Amino acid sequence: MVAFIGKRLFQSLFVLFGLSLLIFFIARVMPGDPARAALGFLATEEQVERLREEMHLNDPFPVQYYYWLRDLMHGDLGRSSYTRRPVTMDLVQYIPATFELILFATLISAIIGQVTGVLAGYFRNSWFDGLSRLVSYLGIATPSFVVAIFLLFVFSQVLKLAPGVGRLPIMMTPPARVTGFMTVDSLLAGRPDIALTALKHMILPAISLAVIHIAQEGRITRTSIVENMQKDYITVHRVHGIRTSRLVFKYLLKPSIIPTVTVMGLDFAFLMSNAFLVEMVYMWPGFSRYAVTAMLNKDLNAIVAVVLVIGLTFAMVNLLVDIITMFLDPTIRLRTGGS
Amino acid sequence: MREQLREDLLASLRQKRRGFTKGWYKFSRNPLSVIGLVVLVSIVLAAILAPYITPYPEHAKPYTNFQDSGKPPSLTHFFGTDRVGRDIFSRVIFGYRFSLTIGIVVLSLGVAPGVILGLIAGYHQGTWIDTVIMRITDIFLAVPPLVLALAITAMLTPNLMNQMMAIALVWWPWYSRLVFALASSLRSEYFVREAELTGASKLHIMFREILPNCLAPVMTKMTLDMGIVILLGATLSFIGLGVQPPKPGLGTMVAEGAKRLPGEWWGTIFPALAIVVVILAFNLVGDGLRDVFAVEEV
Amino acid sequence: MSEPLLDVVDLHVGFRIFEGYLSVLNGVQLSVGVGERVGLVGETGCGKTTTVKSILRVLPMPPAKVTDGQILYRGQDVLRMRRRRVQALRRHELSAIFQDPLQSLNPVFTIGTQLRDIVKDSAIGQGRRLPRRVIEARCIEALRETGMPDPERIMTNYPIQLSGGMRQRVCIAQALSTHAKLLLADEPTTNLDVTIQDQILRKLDELVDEHGSSVVMITHSMGVVRDLTQRANTMYAGSIVETGETKQLLEGPKHPYTQGLMASVPKLTGEGISEGIPGRIPNYLDPPPGCRFHPRCVHRMEACSAELPSLFEIGGGHRAACYLYGGEA
Repeated sequence: MVAFIGKRLFQSLFVLFGLSLLIFFIARVMPGDPARAALGFLATEEQVERLREEMHLNDPFPVQYYYWLRDLMHGDLGRSSYTRRPVTMDLVQYIPATFELILFATLISAIIGQVTGVLAGYFRNSWFDGLSRLVSYLGIATPSFVVAIFLLFVFSQVLKLAPGVGRLPIMMTPPARVTGFMTVDSLLAGRPDIALTALKHMILPAISLAVIHIAQEGRITRTSIVENMQKDYITVHRVHGIRTSRLVFKYLLKPSIIPTVTVMGLDFAFLMSNAFLVEMVYMWPGFSRYAVTAMLNKDLNAIVAVVLVIGLTFAMVNLLVDIITMFLDPTIRLRTGGS
Repeated sequence: MREQLREDLLASLRQKRRGFTKGWYKFSRNPLSVIGLVVLVSIVLAAILAPYITPYPEHAKPYTNFQDSGKPPSLTHFFGTDRVGRDIFSRVIFGYRFSLTIGIVVLSLGVAPGVILGLIAGYHQGTWIDTVIMRITDIFLAVPPLVLALAITAMLTPNLMNQMMAIALVWWPWYSRLVFALASSLRSEYFVREAELTGASKLHIMFREILPNCLAPVMTKMTLDMGIVILLGATLSFIGLGVQPPKPGLGTMVAEGAKRLPGEWWGTIFPALAIVVVILAFNLVGDGLRDVFAVEEV
Repeated sequence: MSEPLLDVVDLHVGFRIFEGYLSVLNGVQLSVGVGERVGLVGETGCGKTTTVKSILRVLPMPPAKVTDGQILYRGQDVLRMRRRRVQALRRHELSAIFQDPLQSLNPVFTIGTQLRDIVKDSAIGQGRRLPRRVIEARCIEALRETGMPDPERIMTNYPIQLSGGMRQRVCIAQALSTHAKLLLADEPTTNLDVTIQDQILRKLDELVDEHGSSVVMITHSMGVVRDLTQRANTMYAGSIVETGETKQLLEGPKHPYTQGLMASVPKLTGEGISEGIPGRIPNYLDPPPGCRFHPRCVHRMEACSAELPSLFEIGGGHRAACYLYGGEA
């Protein structure tokens, strides 16, 4: 098992290395002068040339990459030409807000997706199955920015049931930053009222993010439940008079959620990319909005960093999924050796 | 001899027709797929004929008429008008032209290299060729396509052409992975081994024996992907890295309209619905094809 | 025969599928007395498994549909029972072993988890919950009875860690752990190695003796019928065509199908390969009218294709559904 995880780690490292090479290559071969972009139009030619030298832009590509990689090892991703701050500092500031949102969205999509999937599969061809099928078709076909705008329009602007954009109302002072998770920090500061307000602010953006995944995970769970229900062992469990609740939520659910767990890992990365849109709509001061701003402003260092952070998250989540799957599925665990 | 050839040809034609009839029968058994197909055909026709059938074709170009600004839906303007008085219905139909172009161009650029690489890697499964191709594929799959496409477009100049190139660049790996899986399982099938034993060339085996058996899943995936690529295109334009105003990109229109919510809701809702409808139609047709070809998973 | 424990009366079951309607069970008659062991023989696809699943009420409906008939267990119709009552029956009275031990165990739970839950849930409705210790002891005892070495270790194993023979022993342990009154064994050894088959059957035989359960043994092996059962039934294309004491049936088969079946058994005395029965089992979409065997039968007459013959008494409880032994013909 340790060997398996080691192998997966090595693979992830390789992929990340390749990704950095790819994105760095694209960033450097593009027309335009990063030094000029960093300094703005008002800088003199001499200042630009000095920065070019400093950024090793006059060296051949492999040398540039070497310096860049060396700086990366020291946690230095360069300076953002837009915020004029070190990119690393920006990342530390913005990532928690996005992670808080994504974790909440994952929780919502996992719970709702699983429950509807199990019910639709167990009561196959019932009205509930038909309804969930219809809704999931819509969910998969609707871009998350459309969902975001629609929810904001209906629940916040028209019905006034939910708060509007941002993480907190403007009048409210955010708690001291510890984890960067607004809900956790408020609780740590002994202010459950702020935590509740922050949670309310998260509901609409989190649902906007979750919709497509609820639809997908629901479909996958349903298919898997239907498939497993036809397995002989389920008949055998029934023949032996196993309680229905135990049959469904233990013996049917566990083998059925294995494919869903795999998909959830993939979905986590997709949530990060969909957060690009949702954070724009909800003015969420997070990593994804930072990424969009960087892209709109051709902020090369920030763009490279953003892609790498997402690649890293993706790799880590997939590793985690493999480990979870291994615990759920003894066939994989026993085959990869050690128990 | 000649008679025989003629007979064979006719027989194969008959068989093809029978295959088609049976396929259509399976497809038509799912009413949702048929609805999807009807909607899709209407959208494609409308997009092609846009200059002739839209009430105000000149509104797709730079045009302002502030007298008509922000009118709600009516019989003269089905979907209302936008900030500068352009007819939203006409712009949506023209917007479909961009969406469909993106889908078609991206897939024609992306699918062929992906399929060929997957085929080569799958046939050489277990050798260094497989390792090189598939590891490179993995690198492209290491971040969601939207992120990579956004990053690439951002570094180029945002416009329709660059947007399509960026999406195509992130799209091929999905096909190489799909075809790799198919080809590596097909290569141990008897008909492939038989061809190998009779001394057929590698090219013959890859392109004449293995490839034809990969086409059904590839085609199904392409139909489903049209929806996803259109979604991605709309997303890029929404962010501002795609079709640039005043051109009527569907995503651009949603973004512009959203600034005027909640008052002029029609400026957002109709272009948004238009996006949902076309993606939904592609998904429904794709699902129908999946049933026809009995493709398990693409 | 004393009051039957199980009495299947004129059971008709069909499946609605895409191509049409499959009429699979066509008036099955089967009865099992208390403590009796009954064999059910027939070729693959004749409806044996469908019969068992109907009795246990685990046929997927739809597509399956019971169109006619009754399944009386101690005089009560299982088909019309409330769900709760059926569950109680499965917990205390009925049990089953299926053909494929590789598919019969849930791959993601240990043997112990699956066995413990069966024992635990078997106590539902009996007023008290079994203490953990008792459950554990009963599980280990059940495994030990099937001749498994080191049952404590087996309890912590996952199915893929065990061989096919071991898994079938686990299935038997599951089936017997609740001391069922009637055991339905659906070809329990077909998918096992020949050498293991014998061991498993012997063990099963021994255990059934100890527990005093009734058994319906489904098989296509005449040898198994001879060794393990007191009464035997031959099934063809969805109905019982002959029934009687095992001895009567084996020594003097009356129905042409049973005769053919007996003739197909390879002899060790080396008389060459038997002819078998020409033709094959009918298509259930459009089965032949009347006796479904008539297209393959050497004795067929006019009446055969007109109406399905009922089971005619031949003597001493031996009955055959053939116009050679009764009816207008």
